[in-house]
Amino acid sequence: MTVSSQEKDPVRSLWRQGLGVFAENRLALVGVGIFVLLAGLCFLGPLFYHTDQVHTDLTKVHLAPGAGHPLGTDGVGYDQLGRLMLGGQTSIIVGLAAGILATAVGTIWGAIAGFAGGWVDSAMMRVVDAMMSIPALFLFMLLAAIVTPSVSMLIIIIGAFAWLGPARLVRGEALTLRSREYVQAMRAMGGTGGRAVRRHIVPNAIGTVIVNATFQVADAILYVAYLSFLGLGVPPPAANWGGMLSDGLEATYSGYWWLLYPPGIAIILIVLAFNFIGDGLRDAFEVRLRRR
Amino acid sequence: MRSRLTGRQLRPAVALIGAITLGASLAACSGGGASSKDGEGTSKDTATVALRTPNWILPISAPGFTQGENAIFTQALYPSLYSYKLDGTEKYNIDPRRSLAEAPVVTDGGKTLAITLKDNKWSDGTPLTTKDIQFWWNLVTANKDKWASYREGGFPDNIAKFTVTDDKTFSMTTTKAYNTAWFVDNQLNRITPVPQAAWDKDNEAATPAGAKKVFATLTAAAKDPKTYDSNPLWKVNSGPFKLAKYVPNGEVTLAKQETYTGADKAKLNTIVLRPFTGDDAEFNVLRAGQIDYGYIPAADTSQKSYLQSKGYTVSPWYGWSITYLQLNFNNPKTGPLFKQLYLRQAMQELVDQPTISKAIWNDTAAPTCGPVPEKPGTTDATGCAYKFDPAAAQQLLESHGWKVTPDGQTTCQTPAQCGPGITAGQPLTFTVTSQTGFAATTKMFAEIKSQMAKLGITLNIKEVPDSVAVTPACKPTESSCSWDMSFFGSQGSWYYPAFASGERLFATGAPVNLGSYSNPQADQLIDATQFASDSDGSTALTAYNDFLAKDLPVLWMPNPVYQNSAYRSGLQGVDPQDPMNFMYFQDWSWK
Repeated sequence: MTVSSQEKDPVRSLWRQGLGVFAENRLALVGVGIFVLLAGLCFLGPLFYHTDQVHTDLTKVHLAPGAGHPLGTDGVGYDQLGRLMLGGQTSIIVGLAAGILATAVGTIWGAIAGFAGGWVDSAMMRVVDAMMSIPALFLFMLLAAIVTPSVSMLIIIIGAFAWLGPARLVRGEALTLRSREYVQAMRAMGGTGGRAVRRHIVPNAIGTVIVNATFQVADAILYVAYLSFLGLGVPPPAANWGGMLSDGLEATYSGYWWLLYPPGIAIILIVLAFNFIGDGLRDAFEVRLRRR
Repeated sequence: MRSRLTGRQLRPAVALIGAITLGASLAACSGGGASSKDGEGTSKDTATVALRTPNWILPISAPGFTQGENAIFTQALYPSLYSYKLDGTEKYNIDPRRSLAEAPVVTDGGKTLAITLKDNKWSDGTPLTTKDIQFWWNLVTANKDKWASYREGGFPDNIAKFTVTDDKTFSMTTTKAYNTAWFVDNQLNRITPVPQAAWDKDNEAATPAGAKKVFATLTAAAKDPKTYDSNPLWKVNSGPFKLAKYVPNGEVTLAKQETYTGADKAKLNTIVLRPFTGDDAEFNVLRAGQIDYGYIPAADTSQKSYLQSKGYTVSPWYGWSITYLQLNFNNPKTGPLFKQLYLRQAMQELVDQPTISKAIWNDTAAPTCGPVPEKPGTTDATGCAYKFDPAAAQQLLESHGWKVTPDGQTTCQTPAQCGPGITAGQPLTFTVTSQTGFAATTKMFAEIKSQMAKLGITLNIKEVPDSVAVTPACKPTESSCSWDMSFFGSQGSWYYPAFASGERLFATGAPVNLGSYSNPQADQLIDATQFASDSDGSTALTAYNDFLAKDLPVLWMPNPVYQNSAYRSGLQGVDPQDPMNFMYFQDWSWK
């Protein structure tokens, strides 16, 4: 009788199996591909395609795509392709950072609430409920009007309110996990609540957390777009795709299509990419959990 | 494997796709859409006008109800005693055709002005007499605190005696000998005859207590818009129109006043004022040819030729206005910088007004060169004291002890040369509080920020919905005094009455001197415009303008038109549009 490789290293095998399932999801791979392409365009593109995104040039306003400016120029003479790269950096950085921040805060909050139970759970989740009852976009607009928008401020503003969803999700997971035998056993052996949360609740909810994180990133990118659309994004010469789309829509009647389509398509692609990736990850983690 | 995107996750993406599709559709529509030309499809005795719904009918303005549409509305029903035209053809700028009185006769060394009313009647046939002026006087003097046009020490505080001579003539004696042009243009413009016989049958307003009571009744009625078209109070008018229908927050219909006795009788039977939820909604309807008079939002100025091809005339509405960037001289940190004329001059020389007006405002703005507006429609910047000249600006900074670091941070190297209160190493970093919602304004500040950055001056642009509210006039010790620069001129910063003097803007302690600019010489020149002995005040006004154009109490900025009007080419009498933002519907007619 031979010992299968799976039995030799079960954890590694689970990850490999999950990866295999993820790889079977073609949309998930497309999502990864789109993200890599867009991230490459935004972060590596400027190394090869040099444009001045600091100084305006009113002699080159609204130039149509052509030699020298493959995607034309905008209303103050910035090269639109260079601007797309610069704007993408902001959108992706804010999206990723705010998504991660929201996921981290939400996971810790939800895990503690769910594990502690009782009045602690009630108090913590009422805070979540109360904050959820306020329209997020309204709060974003209010905060963005009070503070001067910047990349770091956008991350904090969006992250400060986007954590509510993950908190609820993880709290639900924690409620289930805390009654599992291995948690009970650890508690019986004198393990602290903090250790239970750290070593058992969070690691076992990680599948849900990671899947949700991808959606959080997508949502955060859209929130940046919304805020910029409302004129509350990062001020020039910084750029982001939402702000570019807003400018493009204002020029709709003027026929400057190159101001409208590139940022709009980029936002759609990156949001879809994260949704596809999240979908694939969910399938992958479901396989791992089934296996367990 | 099937993808399982949830509705929640897909919704934002779908919304964006929708937005892009809509945009694409609209862009694709640029070849068609409008349905009528030259008034085709519109009744020949009606004109439909895009205008916000007025919400104040009493011709005595109240705080919070001073919006332009209210002035246009009340002027159609209750014209002011004097109307003005700025073409320089008439004494004191008085428009004799529209005014309800002859030009004042000045005696007593300029202190007494005798005014004779023309023969006009109210719509109920009652003659318009000095009783109606006296009634107005009683109301405003007893209720100064509730009158939006009142300023302490101003009209009517500066009137020592108000005398009614007879049914047609009254006089006013001022406390000081004011320049007549200033007094006629900037003080008498507030007088509006109101129907004493209809509104105060028992003559209660003859006493201050009675005037307060009558005013309270009128104000209460004016605050009830749903009764505007039914309340008998508002049925007696002196203007060329009467109110036929009023829908709160909706359409307002003005009908020709058949009994109007003025010289400027209405030519059209009906004017419909139609409000829109926003610029886009208005422009869509305009493109569809469903209104006779509207406006092109600044972002869509390039659609001018399209609208013209659909039978509209596009006409910029130039205002009697100036636009500027306010500097906070009282800011404890940046105030000492702004107090240096060389620094203000250097920054002014980095504002390329002609190019910004052309490239960003699409030729719907013109350079502001000083406190007195250029003749409406003038786009020439050759008269400006400081032209766009980055090299000169750099030289100015360097010669005053600054180490200029292009695209870096310029700092003060020699404090003795930089000026009092400026320390070694102090950077030139300022925050501009600007307005949200104006794409052209955002672009303009992107350009100015870029130009300033080339000389190491850092501008941080912060856009807020109401920039005036967060940048008040302040003392250095107040916490609200931390703002550096403020812009609120996306549709012009300041609209003048006929006489463009600066006592409210740039005099020390003036109510709208938000930046607390103070210069004794400027104060003297401003006083001179109010008290000059030359009857038209032009010499004093020129001296005042020339000094402040150079002294830069603010940074002069491109002055946008009030709006880019678009009206059916068959509609006559719209142009010239009044620079003081009134609309005289009575002049309109169809070809």
